Amino acid sequence: MIKMNNINKVYQTEMVQTHALRDFNLEVEQGEFIAVTGPSGSGKTTFLNIAGMLEPFSSGTYELDGIDVGKLNDNQRADLRNQKIGFIFQGFNLIPDLNLYENVEVPLRYRGIKSAERKKRIERCLELVGLGARAKHLPQQLSGGQQQRVAIARALAGEPRFLLADEPTGNLDSLMARQVMEILEEINREGATIVMVTHDPELARRAPRNIQVVDGQLADFSLYQGAPNKQQTAGDIAARAAARAAEA
Amino acid sequence: MLELKPMINALLRSKIGAVLLLIQVAITLAIVSNAAFMISDRLTYLNQETGYDEEAIFSLSVSTFDPSINLVQQYAQDERDLRAIDGVIDAAMTNWMPLSGSGSSSSMHLVPNPEIGTGVRAAYFTTNEHMLNTLGAKLIEGRNFYPEEVVHADNYGKLPNTTIVTKDFAEELYPDGSALGKVLYQGEDAVEIIGIIDTIKGPWLNDSRPANVVIFPFNLSQPRTGFLVRTEPGKRAEVMAKVEELLLKSESRRVFYGIEGLDESKASYLARDTLVMRMLVVLIVVLVLVTALGIFGLTLFNISKRTKQIGTRRALGARKSAIVRYFLIENFLVAGLGLVIGAALAVLLGQQLMKVFSLPSLSFTFVLASAVFMLIMSLVAAWGPALRAAKVAPSIATRSI
Repeated sequence: MIKMNNINKVYQTEMVQTHALRDFNLEVEQGEFIAVTGPSGSGKTTFLNIAGMLEPFSSGTYELDGIDVGKLNDNQRADLRNQKIGFIFQGFNLIPDLNLYENVEVPLRYRGIKSAERKKRIERCLELVGLGARAKHLPQQLSGGQQQRVAIARALAGEPRFLLADEPTGNLDSLMARQVMEILEEINREGATIVMVTHDPELARRAPRNIQVVDGQLADFSLYQGAPNKQQTAGDIAARAAARAAEA
Repeated sequence: MLELKPMINALLRSKIGAVLLLIQVAITLAIVSNAAFMISDRLTYLNQETGYDEEAIFSLSVSTFDPSINLVQQYAQDERDLRAIDGVIDAAMTNWMPLSGSGSSSSMHLVPNPEIGTGVRAAYFTTNEHMLNTLGAKLIEGRNFYPEEVVHADNYGKLPNTTIVTKDFAEELYPDGSALGKVLYQGEDAVEIIGIIDTIKGPWLNDSRPANVVIFPFNLSQPRTGFLVRTEPGKRAEVMAKVEELLLKSESRRVFYGIEGLDESKASYLARDTLVMRMLVVLIVVLVLVTALGIFGLTLFNISKRTKQIGTRRALGARKSAIVRYFLIENFLVAGLGLVIGAALAVLLGQQLMKVFSLPSLSFTFVLASAVFMLIMSLVAAWGPALRAAKVAPSIATRSI
């Protein structure tokens, strides 16, 4: 699903060069649920931005679902984001002047989906997050947890292959955080690949696979294996997949 | 991929800025279209055909104070001297100057006083057989004055009995057929129309009938009078420079003044209208600029207020072009509605202006043209900010501020 090879990201200002990511390697298989943790300033957000094609990287290669992202132009990246990725942001990022229905509709309109099909999907997704009855409400009329559920509905409406969540519970209290987490787990069970950036260790522990970003590089901790371990490799993934198969 | 419905909903939910802009656009259109109409009306007036080659004709006036001078003889001498100047085509003495704002007018009737009949007002001037050639007036029907028809006198003891009129006057007095050979009355005195000339304008361009002009063959030699002179192309300035000195040679006990090209007389007559028109132009430019700045500012403000939203839209799959389109269409909706309201206001304002200042009624073409112009202007004003919006990086969406 995701294949990052020696990704480097350098922020250049007049005075300093900052290496946000250094020779960053990561593979994510279809259907995985990964929590990305790390201290602030470690490069988590940069990783998320690059994974979501929200910003370009300086060198390396990144394949998303078999497509070499580095070769795309701005329009193609926008289209690919729209088709393959569902975003869930820490601040929800709902559009305040649009009601819930219209908010969920935004990515569908950019994809050019017909009105009737949009309606079907929006209603289904709002239902899924338990807000079907409030489609005409404005975001400000909802609690934080409800707003994040709308954002999840928006992310799901496009039926993305891949969900990117940036501190999805960062602005929520623990009860609402748990609800949101449960929805994400549910979505994952239904087959979506989820990469979640979080600083909350408890939340991270609930994800089947944990990776940690430190100083722009990857340290992989697999909870399956009970202990922090070495850099992520394709072999590990295969081994874990086999282990999971055996468990089942 | 138009998103009109949610866009309109969003506008309705946060409408203050949009409503203010809408009002501004509406008022601007109302004023601009009326002002543009007035300018066009003024321009038609300022640029009207006068019937003269204004660059080739000049006038001069003379005041003679010495009663011992025989004015009839002296003016005849002056005319001969003027015509003898190299570059002069013709010259004629006259009691008024065209396009100058001062002259004489009178009602010309089909029947003599005190009978009551059709009367048509006309500016008249008293001159001689050289006038048509001096003015460059084109004879359409009939003939010029014979020299012997011209009355040379320093009083009203004997009056002429022929006249030449403009076709504008002729058609008004005799709407049903040619006026040639017909008689008209100034008071009790009858004159025969012996010639009809093409349109020339009299002394007053702002008259309701500026081209009603009647010419009498009457060289009225009074102490104050004037001459009109037509020169060959390009020779006028040269002739004007030496004419005073030359005429003073034959008789120095008098004063020449008002040596002025016909185009100059016209310009000073129209100076106030020209000024008003320029002020209207300035008003329009300022209003349109202020409105354009308003649109520019509001779009910029909207964009900075919605940076996060723009980043989010980009993250969710909006292409840059979709962002530009969004802001342009939003602006189009606000400006468009403002223009519709403004068009209605413009018509109302036009009606009021018509009533209060007796202006001609506002033609809707001007409202439409002004609206199209303002719509284009609003798109231009919103274009820059919209392009800036498209440059908002999608990564703004993950920034937690």
